[in-house]
Amino acid sequence: MHAAITIWNKQLLKLSPEETFGLLLQPILWVVLFGVGMKGLIGQGLPSDDNFYISFMAPGIIAFSALGGAIAGGSIWLDERRRGIVNEYLVAPISRLSILRRNARTIVTTTLFQARVLIIVALRKGSAIAVDPIGWIGGMLLVGGFGLGFAGIALAVASKTTEPGAYHALIFLLNLPLLFLSTALYPLEALPRWMQIGAQINPTSYVVDGLRRLVFEDGLSMAGDDVLPLWSCFLAIGLFASLGMGLAYSAFRSAVE
Amino acid sequence: MTVTNSIEVRGLVKRYGDVTAVDGVDLSIAPNTIYALLGPNGAGKTTTISVLTTLTRLSAGSASVMGLDVSVQPNAVRQCIGVTFQETVLDDALNAWQTLDFHGRLYRQDRATRKRKSQELLKMVELEEAAERRVRTYSGGMKRRLELARGLMTDPDVLFLDEPTTGLDPQNRANIWEYIRDLKQRNGLTLLLTTHYMDEAEELADRVGIIDHGKIIVEGSPRELVSQMGADSITLVASGDTVRLAERLKTLTVVETVTIGDQVIQIGVDSGNRRLPEIIGLAQEVGCHIEDISLAKPSLSDVFLKYTGRQLRDK
Repeated sequence: MHAAITIWNKQLLKLSPEETFGLLLQPILWVVLFGVGMKGLIGQGLPSDDNFYISFMAPGIIAFSALGGAIAGGSIWLDERRRGIVNEYLVAPISRLSILRRNARTIVTTTLFQARVLIIVALRKGSAIAVDPIGWIGGMLLVGGFGLGFAGIALAVASKTTEPGAYHALIFLLNLPLLFLSTALYPLEALPRWMQIGAQINPTSYVVDGLRRLVFEDGLSMAGDDVLPLWSCFLAIGLFASLGMGLAYSAFRSAVE
Repeated sequence: MTVTNSIEVRGLVKRYGDVTAVDGVDLSIAPNTIYALLGPNGAGKTTTISVLTTLTRLSAGSASVMGLDVSVQPNAVRQCIGVTFQETVLDDALNAWQTLDFHGRLYRQDRATRKRKSQELLKMVELEEAAERRVRTYSGGMKRRLELARGLMTDPDVLFLDEPTTGLDPQNRANIWEYIRDLKQRNGLTLLLTTHYMDEAEELADRVGIIDHGKIIVEGSPRELVSQMGADSITLVASGDTVRLAERLKTLTVVETVTIGDQVIQIGVDSGNRRLPEIIGLAQEVGCHIEDISLAKPSLSDVFLKYTGRQLRDK
């Protein structure tokens, strides 16, 4: 654990003001540019309060930020492998696994940080948020688990390739369906049948619906009757996180040995 | 357990698929020695270091550092070694302080030790003034010096330097050499370095192992190796029947050794100045056309040529 924290600390030390600024700004821009724009389009059909859409789409933006964090974390690992920096870790008397743990930790930290920023922004934009601390903790668990799962995929890809171009192409390809083939931006009932099936096997839908149930209450009413049950959200995200980390672990082992 | 040798390698083999990078290397390196593995690129130097520093698993044979088997107790080996890699391996967003501090933390040094060691080492490699600057602003020589300091941060018993001066200008090379020589005196450290520079091995090493095609061909102190070559060495580049010329040269009593390479003949003689005309005469006699002839006090280059039949160019 010690080594994982040490390497993680170094990562934070390297975080430039520009990067922090970017991390902060990204979710804000999502809400302001996309959320407000879409609200004008979709919100028209809504019964009363026009802030429903912000609440509805906020969980999706959190999920999308988690994807961004995972991609960034994967490319740090790729960069360290390419430049041989990983050799400094490998000749040190630390557990091999702590290197992987550090990477996962970096990603989850950024993700949770952005999730918090986003909740605050959504709140200021008029979204109603549950004031139940247990719900919040549950929501953060879902976000963390989702981040971990996708981090696993990104780290696995980054362990298998040495080409930044290949890495980004592949990750971007995964990114799009994860966001759009889900209930993140539109209610399930508004989707055609094939997209509904896709959305139901997509972990993004589970983190998003879980957040709607736990944190963004307004979003729930807009999502319709088909919101996934909470237990299934935790189950799916738990499975996704384990699967991702399992993939990362086996790819990581073959990369360092 | 008493440790007789700092590094002990027996029949080391490392294969990557069909390629055998190291093919039965034996090494015994006594404590407080500077040992240079000298050989061309691709000879197996870096692979040998990778096995000893626990980066790569060996395919056959055995290797131990400070009496610890690298396959059985890799973590214990990691605890007592310092490494600088062939490529520059520095996080260029950090400054020198952060680089050394981070390294110390990886090895669980406490804050006071980290501070004391960083100060001492940055002073030693003369980077005190630049210590607050990010590594990305450093020159190649400065980066090398910082890596050297980092390798010493944890007071290792054995320091591995993989091509410590490759890519540096002569002044920086001389600089690094000086640190390396000092190190051995100050810390009682064992150093294993790889190089493809003859002069580097000759300048620094107590013992040299010439490695080629994954095998150690000859080993000894630079002086021993060089003295095998006879007093002086004449290198002759000739066209024509060089094989016959070599045969004839071997019959001369003043000639101690003759090595024939690709158009190059190397001759070890008792006194070069006096034998030069004799040798030229002989070449004309057998109808060889001499394109270049040079006389030199023997060096490790000549040793290398003798054992490998090839010249190792310093580049």
